[in-house]
Amino acid sequence: MEEKRLTEQESINIIATMISRTKERYIGDGNIMLLWGWLIILVTCLVWLMLALTRNPAWNWLWFLIPVVGGIATPIMAKKSEYKRGVTTYSDKISSQIWLTVGIIAIVCTIICLGFGIMGIRVWTLMFIYALIIVPFAEIAQGLIVREKSLIAGGACGVVIGLFTTSCLICDIPLFAYWFLPMYILAFACMMLIPGYIINHKARTK
Amino acid sequence: MKELDPLLHSQLRLAVMSILMNVEQADFVYLKEKTESTAGNLSIQIEKLSTAGYISVEKGFSGKKPRTVCQVTEKGREAFERYVEALKTYLNL
Repeated sequence: MEEKRLTEQESINIIATMISRTKERYIGDGNIMLLWGWLIILVTCLVWLMLALTRNPAWNWLWFLIPVVGGIATPIMAKKSEYKRGVTTYSDKISSQIWLTVGIIAIVCTIICLGFGIMGIRVWTLMFIYALIIVPFAEIAQGLIVREKSLIAGGACGVVIGLFTTSCLICDIPLFAYWFLPMYILAFACMMLIPGYIINHKARTK
Repeated sequence: MKELDPLLHSQLRLAVMSILMNVEQADFVYLKEKTESTAGNLSIQIEKLSTAGYISVEKGFSGKKPRTVCQVTEKGREAFERYVEALKTYLNL
C-alpha cells in the first residue's frame, strides 16, 4: 500500500476493506484448555490413588498442584499465543477478563476454605462447586463470545454435573471418592479436553 | 462541509487507523500484513500517527525479537469518528 491522496469514495473503501480483513473469527488454540484439562484429571487421579492407598486425608493438599502449575503456565502460554498472532481483539480481551475473574473467585474460595479450616470446619467441597459451576459458566460465556459450540456444550455438561453435585451436598449425600471422582474427571474431560482437541483440530485445518 | 482531517486522509494512515479501531491492539507485523505495505513506509506513518497522539506505540521484545505494539488512543478514536462523520457529509450518506 502506497502513500497517496485519496478521494472520499476511496477512503470509504479502505475503511471497509480493513474492517473486513480484521473480522476473521479466531477461536484460539486449545492448548491452554488441554493443559488445565490434563492437569486437573491427572491431579484428581493422583489424589484418588493416594487416598485409596493410604487413607490419609493429608493427600488432599495435592489439589494445590492445580492452581500452582496452571497459574504459572497459563500466562506464559497466553503471551506466546498473542505474540504468534500479532493482534488482540476485543473478544480476546473480554475472554481473558472472564478467566481472570474465575481465577480471582478461586483465590477467594480458597481463602474462605482455609479460614473455615482454621476454625475446624471443613468446607473444601466449596471448591468442587466452584470448579463445576463457576468454571463451566465461564466456558459457556467464552463459547458464546467466540461462537464455538464445543465450548458451550462442554460447559453445559459441567454445569449439569455441578448442579447435581450441589444437590447432593444440600441433601447431605456424601461425595464418596469411588463415584464422585470419576464423575469429576468426566466433567473436566467434557469441559476441557474435548473442546481443546476440537479447537486445535479446527486451528490446524483452517 | 466539514474538513477532512489531513492526517487521516491518506491511504496507509487511514488503513492503520481502521484496523486499530477494530481491534484492541496490533503489532507491526500484523499491520504490515493487513495493509500490504512496506516496513519503511509503515514505520513513517505509524510515527506520524503516534506524534499526533492518535495511537500509542509500545516497543518491547518477544523473546529476542523486537516487537512494536500499536493501540488507538481516545484522541485517535475521536478523530477517526469525526473523519467518518465528515466523509458521510461529502458522500451524502
